[in-house]
Amino acid sequence: MAGLMERPSGNLAPSESAVTSEGLATQQAAESQALEQLLSTRSPQRPQRTPTFYVEIDGKQLEAFEGQTILEVCRANGIEVPTLCYDPKLPGFGACRMCVVDVEGCDAPLISCSAKAEPATVIATQTDRLREIRRTNLELIFSDHNAYCLPPCQNKCPSHIDIPGFLKANAESQFRESARIFKRTIPFPSILGRVCPAPCEDHCRRDEVDEAIAIRDSHRYAGDQVLKSMWDENIDPPLPFELQPKTGKRVAVIGSGPAGASAAFYLLVAGHDVTIFEKDPEPGGMLRYGIPQYRLPKIEVLDGEYQSITRLGGRFECGKMLGRDFTTADLKAQGYDAVIVAIGCYDTNDLGIPGEEAEGVIDGLDYLHTAALGLEYPNHEGSRVVVVGGGYTSMDCARTSIRLGAKEVTLVYRRDMKDMPAADEVHEMIEEGARAIFQAGPTRVIVDEKNRVTGLEFIRMQLGAPDASGRRRPEPAPGTEFIIECDRILKAIGQGPDMTWATIGADGVSATKNGRLKADAVTFQTGRDGVFGCGDVRNGATTVVASIADGRRCAYAADAYLQGLDLGEIRNRQTLAEPQPEFLSIVPFTGETKEPRLRLKALHADERKHDYIQYEIPYSKAEVMAESTRCLQCTCEAIGFCDLRRLGIEYGTTLKTLEKDHQNGAGFRSITENRWTGANHDYVRDDSHAFILREPSRCIDCGRCANVCAEVVGAACYDFMRTGFDTLVTTPLDMSLNESPCVSCGRCAETCPTGALMPKPRLLTKYEVDESRCILCGICVDACPYDALRSGFDFELAHTDRSEPMIDLIALAKIERTSEATFIRGESNWENTVAGRRHDPARALPVLPSNLRGK
Amino acid sequence: MKQIAAPKGWAQLLLTPPATPWAALRSVLAAGPAATMQTLIDAGLRGRGGGGFLTGEKWRITATSDAEVKYAVANGYESDPAVFTNRLLLEKNAQAVVEGLAAAALAVGAREAFIAVRAEYTEAIRALEAIVHNAERDGVLGANVLGSGRELYMSVRPLQGSSMIGEETVLLKALAGKRGQPEQTPPYPSTVGYLGKPTVVNNVATLAAVTWIISNGAAAFKQIGDPAEPGTALVQISGSLTNAGVMEVPTGTPLAEIAAAAGGPAKGATIKALLIGGPSGGFVPANLLASTPYSGGGLATVGAHIGSGALLAIDQSVAIPELAAMLTRWCADEACGKTIPCRIGTRRLAEIGQRFVDGLAGPQDVQKLHALAADVADSALCAHERLTPSPLLTGMRYFEREFVPAGVAAEKSGAVVGRSE
Ligand SMILES: Cc1cc2nc3c(=O)[nH]c(=O)nc-3n(C[C@H](O)[C@H](O)[C@H](O)COP(=O)(O)O)c2cc1C
Ligand code: SF4
Ligand code: SF4
Ligand code: SF4
Ligand code: SF4
Ligand code: FES
Repeated sequence: MAGLMERPSGNLAPSESAVTSEGLATQQAAESQALEQLLSTRSPQRPQRTPTFYVEIDGKQLEAFEGQTILEVCRANGIEVPTLCYDPKLPGFGACRMCVVDVEGCDAPLISCSAKAEPATVIATQTDRLREIRRTNLELIFSDHNAYCLPPCQNKCPSHIDIPGFLKANAESQFRESARIFKRTIPFPSILGRVCPAPCEDHCRRDEVDEAIAIRDSHRYAGDQVLKSMWDENIDPPLPFELQPKTGKRVAVIGSGPAGASAAFYLLVAGHDVTIFEKDPEPGGMLRYGIPQYRLPKIEVLDGEYQSITRLGGRFECGKMLGRDFTTADLKAQGYDAVIVAIGCYDTNDLGIPGEEAEGVIDGLDYLHTAALGLEYPNHEGSRVVVVGGGYTSMDCARTSIRLGAKEVTLVYRRDMKDMPAADEVHEMIEEGARAIFQAGPTRVIVDEKNRVTGLEFIRMQLGAPDASGRRRPEPAPGTEFIIECDRILKAIGQGPDMTWATIGADGVSATKNGRLKADAVTFQTGRDGVFGCGDVRNGATTVVASIADGRRCAYAADAYLQGLDLGEIRNRQTLAEPQPEFLSIVPFTGETKEPRLRLKALHADERKHDYIQYEIPYSKAEVMAESTRCLQCTCEAIGFCDLRRLGIEYGTTLKTLEKDHQNGAGFRSITENRWTGANHDYVRDDSHAFILREPSRCIDCGRCANVCAEVVGAACYDFMRTGFDTLVTTPLDMSLNESPCVSCGRCAETCPTGALMPKPRLLTKYEVDESRCILCGICVDACPYDALRSGFDFELAHTDRSEPMIDLIALAKIERTSEATFIRGESNWENTVAGRRHDPARALPVLPSNLRGK
Repeated sequence: MKQIAAPKGWAQLLLTPPATPWAALRSVLAAGPAATMQTLIDAGLRGRGGGGFLTGEKWRITATSDAEVKYAVANGYESDPAVFTNRLLLEKNAQAVVEGLAAAALAVGAREAFIAVRAEYTEAIRALEAIVHNAERDGVLGANVLGSGRELYMSVRPLQGSSMIGEETVLLKALAGKRGQPEQTPPYPSTVGYLGKPTVVNNVATLAAVTWIISNGAAAFKQIGDPAEPGTALVQISGSLTNAGVMEVPTGTPLAEIAAAAGGPAKGATIKALLIGGPSGGFVPANLLASTPYSGGGLATVGAHIGSGALLAIDQSVAIPELAAMLTRWCADEACGKTIPCRIGTRRLAEIGQRFVDGLAGPQDVQKLHALAADVADSALCAHERLTPSPLLTGMRYFEREFVPAGVAAEKSGAVVGRSE
């Protein structure tokens, strides 16, 4: 720069006429003046660095250059201002109105992507009012955003499995890959394929066409293929992620049930050394001692699946009980770097009625435990059994009683059948010969003179006011008592954890007021450093899938802890990785042909009711492929890359929100909370072009594609079409890009902030390059917008394959995105954390596992 | 489209052609740009296109720019439906508009000027083209304006399309053959306008007033109408008044007087309110008509604006929510679709309004409407979205009783007395 501005010396313009020295001097002065002018007019470069001045943004004095927009000053200084329509390659466009900022002295907010920074102005980027405006804008967008970030099935799966992902692999008969995708979020596809209540299926969108996909049965098939090759050919099960080198850290997991096993599995993959302590003689917890054999074969399936832990070097120490044989403090003393408490719920709740201590009133769990050990329960054969409760335990008690030869089995539940957690098993139980009575609660146990049970008195329940869960609370209807004669009463009205151990040498570890282990919902930390809690002991009795999900998340947190990372960050990461967006589903699906669900065949009730054999007949290969093909693949390709979704999360609009008020910072807001729902558009997906996938229903009309295509590429394929509410950025007459001047550069897909324009997922998994015919022209390298092809030293071509599934939440959670890491913070305390919004890459923490975390 | 004769004593400046054509232009050439702009500032002339910015000041911004190429544009697009004041002006007094535009171009240093007119206004286009053609032939315009050595080429540009083209940044893009969507301001056209060059854009009535001021002096103009915004305005009178048409009204005239000058209520009608400012205008209830002057400042206090100059008299047979929802929906449909608050927000406003009409409004809809209107206004790109909520907002302000949530039948009859505030 200095050289450029230096004034050239010497005689520049040869003068023709002879002049006096005085004249020469004036002439030279005039010339240099002219030169000066020439220099400054001929090269009208905008001054690069000068002049500078200062503006105050969010309380900080920041240097700005003349001509910079407020947004540019913010970006240059790491202050995040949300934008949707701004493309750094182009001047501010002003369509999304998200970049509003307050400038002192202006009555209305300014649009920072267009407004120039002025000297000495005082700017605020995050006031309540600005956030309100941005939120309104986002809500308006979502009110006309006919799309799904994640498929509803995946939302509803407590562990958020990539359901369309594994179904797709199934449909292509890639069962090992299918199981691998499954194992990214749940290590045990075969176990869950048998015992999961499949909440995902209740929300499957295929239901709008004909019937929900048989999601559970489909992963069961894939998991079973893996188990089969393990048993028959000793092939290790697939690992969801690359196995990490040993870290040398030791983790003790207490409890080998679903939560503990899942935590152990993911910690092993992350390279930690894991020992699992189990109070019973064999590992598995409720999977082994609660769930009956006919639902979950203990050897082929349970032991088989648990080998994925032992094969990774996990050790089980059975017969060791927390509180009896050791304490958490002992474990720490033995050099364990972290302890995970996952001891489940084993204390059956009392009925709280007179006569409960009578002989013949049995704890349902004890009963199942004995049955699972293969022991006869004394005198059960020929007895009359009443089971009280409506959960999975009660169902297992009833159905096991039938298998143990009970003469008469009656299940009584105080609410209606539709309120039963295990409602879908009721018809099978009735088929097997049990009776079910709903809306009746026990009032007293009838005993004979030896205090043996002879019957149980019930009272009819009527529905009262709805409780916190939204279900109407049952209330006794006076005068409706009735008695069921019986010899045995199985109590199965829910379980709580045994927390007596918490007092023994477990300083800092405490119980909640309903008697559960107190541990954070996201970081899983208990009151004691390095001690984590997950599964039923933390949540109360839930489902296997919920416990496994809890275990996995707990493993992430423990892994972060072992790496010495800030657990506060984990909260944000996890919320990002596992969002629960709720969008309108208004797509009519008229084009889909109806192909009803393939149901699993089952043995007839007469054949199965005396036996513990598995009664469902699994799918054949052709069946599972056909079933998986029915999946509509309701998923947005942009998830993880979508600015709209990211802002939706930050501003708590429509999506899962980080607001404190919403369930401890991990709550979610539903579509009904969007104030502006109204008419909306449903556009047709256009996949006619070979590289660009257009999904106009996801378009937010930011105009970026139109501007980039016109101003940067020069093709001008898109523009704003139609007017008013129906405006859409699209091609003229909505024609295919094939008919437009598109040069397939992909710039539009690159700039699109949402999933409206996407690089098209290819059906091929890999491109084959016929190198014998390649003349190394390099055109492909130049043309490829995604750097998939690169030139090496000798200008070789390298090809890559796409073995990773499109939707890879964990990998996404890992991607170091300046914005994602810095945007997410508690809604209410943003004011105090202005500094926290400055991006510091060191603070951008990955979740797990570390192989996905660039070194 | 007929003209309504104004009562005696009301100054009439705009619709009569200047006595000596080109006299004003000669004065401008003689006085020079600085003095001309000072005259306009002294006269206090404000834009008639809706913005109400001081015309002299606006010119000065463009004049002081050191860009080599500048433009001057007359905005005769007249975007609001059923308003013909500019058409009447152009048909009756194109001379004053052309002269005013020439004055603007010479004052700011533009060598090219455009008159943007609605393509349907064929008679006006013919009149304008004749004047421009003859002026070029006679050496009044062209390479040597009246022998002054200055260059000025003028052309008439018929435009057709959405109502948004009336907005100046859209107008300039339409003239350049680009997508008809507003640009973020600032920068205003006076610094970055047509083809990115400084451009002065004025409404045709503003330019006609310029010609009058130059011919008659700033002091004479200043005496007409409201001293804060002197002059006259062309008002399009329609609805339940005896006479309909265009009337030239001195600014500051009370609304009641204007209604009386238009012959008062039509036979059998009782005026319930006036809708001032077109589809995005505000309702002024009957009880405020005497106290509200027809001026930018006066109308702002009651939530209305001069806008296109439309004045619609509404009688007791009209249900305010129905009319307001219909107007909002019209505005929403006319939106260019560029910004989120405009494309979706104005539509949602219309939907909420419609819920009141259909008797489906929820208890929170009043509050929702206010919240959305405020958010839309605060993040608005152009005046269209900022003003679109006006009919609903003023309707709710003065005819609260007609906006009833679901279950209660809307009050449709009887002159509803507005709440004065
Ligand atoms: C939606 C919208 C429509 C407009 N329509 C017109 C119009 O039809 N005629 C007009 O002169 N100005 C119209 N304007 C105002 C112009 O943007 C601009 O302010 C005006 O042409 C400037 O001229 P003035 O300074 O003489 O008022 C409109 C503004 C908006 C926001
Ligand atoms: S475009 Fe973004 S917000 Fe919309 S469905 Fe896709 S990921 Fe979700
Ligand atoms: S169709 Fe497929 S992706 Fe969609 S909800 Fe059902 S299983 Fe999930
Ligand atoms: S891929 Fe086609 S439509 Fe997209 S920016 Fe490139 S030329 Fe335009
Ligand atoms: S398709 Fe174009 S206008 Fe629509 S969201 Fe993507 S970039 Fe924006
Ligand atoms: S309006 Fe500024 S980024 Fe969209």
